[in-house]
Amino acid sequence: MKKTKYIMSWGLAFAEKQDLEKLSKKAKQGWRLKSLAFAGFRLEKGAPEHVQYSVDYRLLKEGEKEEYLELFSQAGWEHVCSSYDIHIFKAPYGTTPIYSDTESAVDKLDRLLKPVSLIGKFILPLTMISYLLMNFLTGPIEQFSKIIFLISMVFAVPTLMMVVALMLRKKKLTITKSY
Amino acid sequence: MKSLEQLTDSVFYIMAALTEPRHGYAIMNLIEDTTKGSFVIGPASLYTIIKKLLKEELIVLHDDSDSRRKVYVLTAKGREVLTEDIKRRKVMIELAEKGLEGDKTI
Repeated sequence: MKKTKYIMSWGLAFAEKQDLEKLSKKAKQGWRLKSLAFAGFRLEKGAPEHVQYSVDYRLLKEGEKEEYLELFSQAGWEHVCSSYDIHIFKAPYGTTPIYSDTESAVDKLDRLLKPVSLIGKFILPLTMISYLLMNFLTGPIEQFSKIIFLISMVFAVPTLMMVVALMLRKKKLTITKSY
Repeated sequence: MKSLEQLTDSVFYIMAALTEPRHGYAIMNLIEDTTKGSFVIGPASLYTIIKKLLKEELIVLHDDSDSRRKVYVLTAKGREVLTEDIKRRKVMIELAEKGLEGDKTI
């Protein structure tokens, strides 16, 4: 059996570039990405390689995967692994980037933002309402809304952080690439 | 990509390539060959744009017998939009050409 190890991720939504650069560095030392793991990546020991990694987000329907992967492979991007809508590819340095224009790169972030902001739209009002209830009411409702508040906070904080991070990345893309 | 009213260069090239039935890889090749490599489209951009054009009914699936290489072609609406954008681009070029015609070099 091949030697494997786990490395942590900063969260692809927050630090995609840093994560992918870390993977390249590891590959140079012979630790090649094998699969996505919970909050990180699983690497496998092999021959060192000089490659860059890229990530794309796309929920592929039945019969779409073959065409999607074929396009990447024809463009020189080897498919490494996927998990639900996350797909990671690798290619030698100098290969055309998987996103060559700003508009479709922004589309990628929008696809990422959609489910997150949907959760946000549900969880933020819940957090606020339970906060008001626990401050202005007493008795069992106060206790109940306290619990709801704590639970919704657990979801609200990372959701908000993700929305902000993605919005900033979107802004950066449109500022640096259009003139 | 908000709207396809004003085509971006990438969308324009892809639509131009799809005036004839072509699969994704053939689109990439044609663009790269025609522009001698000065304009390239990445696979993720190409896939995103194909999906967008399908949704807007500017292209249509022409042949999916090979699931790895689906063939697309412009629709009538697609031809119309492309024709409009050619006009828009011609105005830009004519303006620039006319300006450069008179020898005003300093």
